[in-house]
Amino acid sequence: MKTKAEAVIIGGGVHGCSIAYHLAKKGWKDVVLLEKGTLACGATGRSVAGIRHQFGTEINVRLAKESVKRMENLEEELDYNSSIELLQNGYLMLAYSEEELDLFRCNRDLQRNIDPHNMTEILAPEQAADLVPGLNLEGLFGASFNRRDGHASPFHVTQAYADAATRLGVDIHTGVEVAKVKKEKDRVTGIITTTGQEINAPIVIGAAGAFTKKFGEQVGLDIPVVPERHQVAVTEPLEMILGIMVISFAHGTYFKQTPHGSLLLGVGDPEGEVKDFNERSSWQFLYDVVQKTTFHWPALREVNIIRQWAGLYDMTPDSQGIVGRTPVDGFYLDLGWSGHGFQLAPAVGQVMAEIISGETPFIDVSCMCLERFERGELIPEPACV
Amino acid sequence: MRIEDHPIIKFKRGKPVSFTFEGRQIEAFEGETIAAALHAAGVRVLSHSHNLKRPRGFFCAIGNCSSCLMKVNGAYNVRICVEPVNEGDRVEMQEGRGDIIAQA
Repeated sequence: MKTKAEAVIIGGGVHGCSIAYHLAKKGWKDVVLLEKGTLACGATGRSVAGIRHQFGTEINVRLAKESVKRMENLEEELDYNSSIELLQNGYLMLAYSEEELDLFRCNRDLQRNIDPHNMTEILAPEQAADLVPGLNLEGLFGASFNRRDGHASPFHVTQAYADAATRLGVDIHTGVEVAKVKKEKDRVTGIITTTGQEINAPIVIGAAGAFTKKFGEQVGLDIPVVPERHQVAVTEPLEMILGIMVISFAHGTYFKQTPHGSLLLGVGDPEGEVKDFNERSSWQFLYDVVQKTTFHWPALREVNIIRQWAGLYDMTPDSQGIVGRTPVDGFYLDLGWSGHGFQLAPAVGQVMAEIISGETPFIDVSCMCLERFERGELIPEPACV
Repeated sequence: MRIEDHPIIKFKRGKPVSFTFEGRQIEAFEGETIAAALHAAGVRVLSHSHNLKRPRGFFCAIGNCSSCLMKVNGAYNVRICVEPVNEGDRVEMQEGRGDIIAQA
């Protein structure tokens, strides 16, 4: 491993790999990415990997618009010889109260204001049932739908960025865990791994989700991020019966069907979860996910669940990412996406590369800076679970 | 093919039942699995692989391998190696992964 680099990225999830690619594309010759496990082994690979335009804050709508556009052509852009398994048939958000539907209308108006071509529409319950045959209409007030949304494989998207970054000269090391970010005076000077190897670098980028908090502490920054376990159940493969991704904020549920045929059923329990790094799956979840998803879609009652997993959201006080430079020179952050980060990685990777290169980013993300918490300038995202 | 006599294990067979497989009448004993009854009746191909459509036979016999998924009384993806046979069961080979929407 190198002992010197221009920049070290901590974390081999989709954000770390996207930053690596975008830096290398800009001509950075000496970038090192360190991942303690394998690529996409953390929150990225454990997500259900929905992709959507349907957000409720201006910054996310802008990032999402750019990101979806890139996902559509990602295999070409990155010269990836496999498929990212993008299924772009739409993303349905179920509203179980008039207030929720009003919020969706509000979000749609915001999206349309920012992008006149935005395709988000508000559907009546019956129209939603056309998209999900057999959907339970009980308590359903309507839905928000965008046919240009969908989902992809988080592993393939990450691998595509990692492969492209490697071809452009980035050194990616898996199985290498960073123990410490080094700092002298007011700037970072590199990292030390858990086996004592050092890499001296003037720039360190924290993209390790909730695990980034400790690196912040080492350089004297309080990063207000906490891990929150969310779990996913996998059914046996079925014929394709669900082309779209479905989500309910009121029930904390979301589900999709992968091209392989398995349904991925997710439920979060933000109130009940202890905020620690527990990544084990639980039987309580299994009970919960069965109750909730068969409520939405009774057709699932006879379907067998074959396995389950757990992963960690990196939650911030306003459920928004923390992006860009910090008060410590050379220390940059890209984390805290609170459960909707996968889909934004294409745009955020470029934004990060531009900020790190000292350029004006093509999307202004200054509202997502770390200092917003001290200043009390939170930007709560209403459209997330 | 059935083992009729075994030096150690005593077979206590249930009463005879009959069911249909692909429309054909098959005799079995209560307490057997559907797969055991089919095996006794000489059925060796239980399904086909999804991509190359190659035949799949009686393999794990403990409900793990998905080689024996069939449609039983209209329900898809039944693991017949762990599903007891019942009088009058309608058992069919399953093509594909099961369309639960069409089923409902």
